[in-house]
Amino acid sequence: MKQYQIVSWVIIIGLMLLLQPLDRAVEYDRLVLGLQQPTPWFQIAARGAAGETELAVTGVTGVIVGAALGGFREVAATMLWMKTHEYWESGQALQVKALWLMRLVTLLDPHWLEPWRITAWHLAYNLYVETDDPALQSKYLQMGVDCLKEGVSWNPDRYDLYVELGWTYFDKVEDFEEAAKWFEASKFYPHPEYVDRLVGHAYERMPDIPRALDAYDYRLKRDPTDGTAKGATITIRERYLHPWYFMEEGRHDKALELIDTHLLAKPDSTLALHVKGYLAEQAGDTRLAYETWKRAGDGSALDFHAQRRAVELAHELGIPTQDTPQYIYMQRQARTQKRMDGSVPGRDNLKR
Amino acid sequence: MLPVIRVARATFHEAWRRRFLNGILVFAILIIGSSWLFAYLQPGAELQMVIDIGLGSIRFFGMLIAVFLGTRLVPDEMERRTIHTILAKPVSRAQFLIGKFAGGAITIAANLILMGLAFYAVFAIKAPAFVAEKPEDALIFQAMYGNIAKAILLSFFEMFLVLGIAVVASVIFTWVLSVITTFVLYFVGQMADLFQQLSDPERGAGLFARIVLGAAYRLLPHFEIFDMREAILQGIYVPWTTLAKTAGQGAAYLIVVLLIGYLVFNEREV
Repeated sequence: MKQYQIVSWVIIIGLMLLLQPLDRAVEYDRLVLGLQQPTPWFQIAARGAAGETELAVTGVTGVIVGAALGGFREVAATMLWMKTHEYWESGQALQVKALWLMRLVTLLDPHWLEPWRITAWHLAYNLYVETDDPALQSKYLQMGVDCLKEGVSWNPDRYDLYVELGWTYFDKVEDFEEAAKWFEASKFYPHPEYVDRLVGHAYERMPDIPRALDAYDYRLKRDPTDGTAKGATITIRERYLHPWYFMEEGRHDKALELIDTHLLAKPDSTLALHVKGYLAEQAGDTRLAYETWKRAGDGSALDFHAQRRAVELAHELGIPTQDTPQYIYMQRQARTQKRMDGSVPGRDNLKR
Repeated sequence: MLPVIRVARATFHEAWRRRFLNGILVFAILIIGSSWLFAYLQPGAELQMVIDIGLGSIRFFGMLIAVFLGTRLVPDEMERRTIHTILAKPVSRAQFLIGKFAGGAITIAANLILMGLAFYAVFAIKAPAFVAEKPEDALIFQAMYGNIAKAILLSFFEMFLVLGIAVVASVIFTWVLSVITTFVLYFVGQMADLFQQLSDPERGAGLFARIVLGAAYRLLPHFEIFDMREAILQGIYVPWTTLAKTAGQGAAYLIVVLLIGYLVFNEREV
């Protein structure tokens, strides 16, 4: 070997050795600064290998792979997104493919909010109504919520997915404690005014009357002409604040009497029934609470909160009942929470 | 030093006469110029789409220019036999190779500057309208201008590395094979993390995978480090030290590649 070759190889080996700590330093910087590509190729490849290969082949064309590898991840995500709609609209048999592709879109471009929103909506709403099995429905709820939580973790500085998650809790799971928590979280970022009202609605339906009033008060301080907040404040003060105060004083009979007066005038009022159910629980009258929640649940097919509470109390009272998806979901959450920190989630753990 | 400058200058002038390079540049500027049209494909993320298409095009077309220019620089001289005239003069093979690379690098730099200016123009005209539609992006919008310049700067180092690999591949292989080799290295280099993860014993990698894939990860160029679109999209400030480290890594790898090229070229019949 000639001398210049020896020198060259020494330099090459020296530089390759020098590259290792430099590579680690760059990798560390990219990790800390969040410069790394959203989803490592490893994770995308691993999904394909985990029994989803067939779906990958049918959905992910060469053009899409080429676009992704060529550095156009967002373009690839857009092309895939169009394909997902094609699959979804083609019928039930292709919906699994569509959902897998939707997850792939979120992996390729996690800062595009639309796929998170739509994927979670398909899971928690559309697949939910495709089955009558409450266990499966609760699973879809869980998947929808988890999808949005992952979306939030990718986009923590935008209000959108906090609200979307809050709305899924509010409208579909009807876990108003969680809904209020996520609506409140979205208020840290620039957000539209309706979010402030949603916080109030969540506390109202929970029910937590003082907090609902606080939320509407917050809204009215920002816009004194807000008709919804004004109307809600008047209604709450007229109908529910006094019963609430009586309850806090321990005068449950008086509180229930006042609520019953309102229910005489408006027997189907969801809010009044929720307040009455809660007052009965606080009074320790489980039977009355059960009957009230059941009445509310039977009165509205979409009052999942009342239906869940009725199932919970039926279990306490030993009344045979059919578990609802929301009940199964909440039971699973409680078990998970208990495993994690030994506490049970609920309104008592919320800081006022 | 003078022979290197002369070879580089001649290479630069010759490169601008190559029609396919001009074609790629014109096409790239057209795509960059119309990147705002693609923005409407992603409702709610128009600004992000403009950046992705614009900067993605700069990287992609820059890579095409680097590959097709780099793989023709030395073989053309050999085919036309002009290399004999050049090497007969007091120009060493090392000077010739470095001169060729430098000429190509200046050409690529000029192309990247033109593409960068086109993108800046589109961004300056269209971005404020998209931000007006989505006021929450205003917070990250201000940081974007500086970050875009840094992203383009990193593209320079990335393309110099691609050019270096293309030049060296053309010295070792035939033209078609050198183009394929450079493309494969570029795309595989984008997925360097895959090799890292597959060779990770905590993820169940065996001894063979640890050695082979671990070696692949350490030997392959890591092209993904030159991509900082994530930072731009999220409005993260990228410190100059990080840029310097990334550029340093690219430069060190480039020297290794060129040294290998020199070792091969010096022993090769021309």
